[in-house]
Amino acid sequence: MLSFIKTAAGALSGVCRARGHLQGPLHCHLKVIAAGMKMFEIPPDYSDVVIPEKPKLKFLDKVPTLKKVKKEMKKLRDIQGPAKAANSFTTGQYAVVAMGGGYLHWGHMEMMRLTINRKFDSRTTFARWRVNAPYKPITRKGLGQRMGGGKGAIDHYVTPVRYGRLILEVGGKVELGEVEHILTEVAKKLPFPAKVMSRETLEAMQNEQAAMEQNNQNPWTFKQVVQGNMLGIRRVCSPFDLHHHGRFTGKFHLPGRV
Amino acid sequence: MAATLCVKLLQKQGWLPLAQSVRHGSKAVTRHRKPMHILKQKIMAVTKYIPPPRAAPPGAYPSPTRRVQEDNGLVKLMKRDLKNLFQDCKMLAVVQDNASNAEEMVILKHRLYKHGITVRVYPNRVMHSFLSDTVYRNMAPLFIGPTVMFVSKEPKVTPMLTTLRSSPHVTLLGACIDNTLLSAEGVLNYSKLPSVTVVQGELVSGLTMLTSSTAATLQRHPAHLSALLQQYITQQTAGPDSSAEEAT
Repeated sequence: MLSFIKTAAGALSGVCRARGHLQGPLHCHLKVIAAGMKMFEIPPDYSDVVIPEKPKLKFLDKVPTLKKVKKEMKKLRDIQGPAKAANSFTTGQYAVVAMGGGYLHWGHMEMMRLTINRKFDSRTTFARWRVNAPYKPITRKGLGQRMGGGKGAIDHYVTPVRYGRLILEVGGKVELGEVEHILTEVAKKLPFPAKVMSRETLEAMQNEQAAMEQNNQNPWTFKQVVQGNMLGIRRVCSPFDLHHHGRFTGKFHLPGRV
Repeated sequence: MAATLCVKLLQKQGWLPLAQSVRHGSKAVTRHRKPMHILKQKIMAVTKYIPPPRAAPPGAYPSPTRRVQEDNGLVKLMKRDLKNLFQDCKMLAVVQDNASNAEEMVILKHRLYKHGITVRVYPNRVMHSFLSDTVYRNMAPLFIGPTVMFVSKEPKVTPMLTTLRSSPHVTLLGACIDNTLLSAEGVLNYSKLPSVTVVQGELVSGLTMLTSSTAATLQRHPAHLSALLQQYITQQTAGPDSSAEEAT
């Protein structure tokens, strides 16, 4: 092996000398070539990934088809606290996860649908909605109308989203690096803080929260204080605090609390 | 305003409202966070998450499984020396050396050397490892801190104690004299004992006195002996009362 390298170096120097003789004495110097073994990463195995028949995001209706439209109250509770539905993965690998509560309009959904369907290769990637089409009616009074005279007419419909809900899932024969920039671009435009997560990162986040609850060194926890009504603190706490132990204020999630 | 007026009027009549109606104001604004009550702010501050203390970096502490260190040549030599010492010497006194300087130590050594007592210093670790295998293992607790051993082939306790009294930085902890472990007080008591020859002489003299007295009585006249015996019998029959009276 060593002799082989030596001979190769000798031959190279000979070539250089010949060239140097031709071009001039300045260029006559031996290049040292370092040989090494290049190890390529084994590409991930996508043999078990099944791309569904319709891999693109479905068009969502702007207005639900209802026999009788009914005006609703604000019901802000539907964006408060953590999501109880659609907070884990089903078919995909990567998802846009809401980090706070908020209302998705039809426009947001259209933006997501168009961006993702345009930028993803439908042969290798698929995307799935994890939110319903807008169903909650929002009323507005008409322009220039005097106050009073009852509740206004239904203006548009929205979809309430809670903290931790998956907005859409992406899967297929792709890695996170390939889809992340598109998904972050989409996530930035949503009306609540949102993050791109894979199955692993979501699980890690949940585990971290559980570990924090387990290893908390503070002997006083919000849950204990509020449930025990220490110093009559329930006077200034809402029933919402009793449920979520001070981890949320309204639709906002307070990170780093147990 | 109207409500306060009403309350005032009602109070005059001697009636207090039992239930106050609380208005829950509009909560429709979700654009920003609701301002928190000061008490709730305090509770939030008190009940913050406190992470567990960071674990020590690996290698900061020695491993819990203690490594069995093999003795090097010096330790082996010292152990052999100690073995000879414990075999040969009758007096091994353990002494604590409380910051006595070199000069004092030299003087002490010289004084002890006059009486044939030598001063030996061994590392405590070597001492402990040596003592754990021998019958002297009860001496091991004495070897803590700066200790020095006074060693002599003869149990010369009194000269050792006198020299120790003159040097204040050195304290006696205990000693092993004639294969007997003694505390510091024990050593003092030992020093007050008379020498073995004196004790032996006393014993011999006591024993010989008894035999000589019997021999003397036997050599006297038999009538005297019979009289003595009779007197003894009368004393025995009279009982302890008479003997007590006689004694008084």
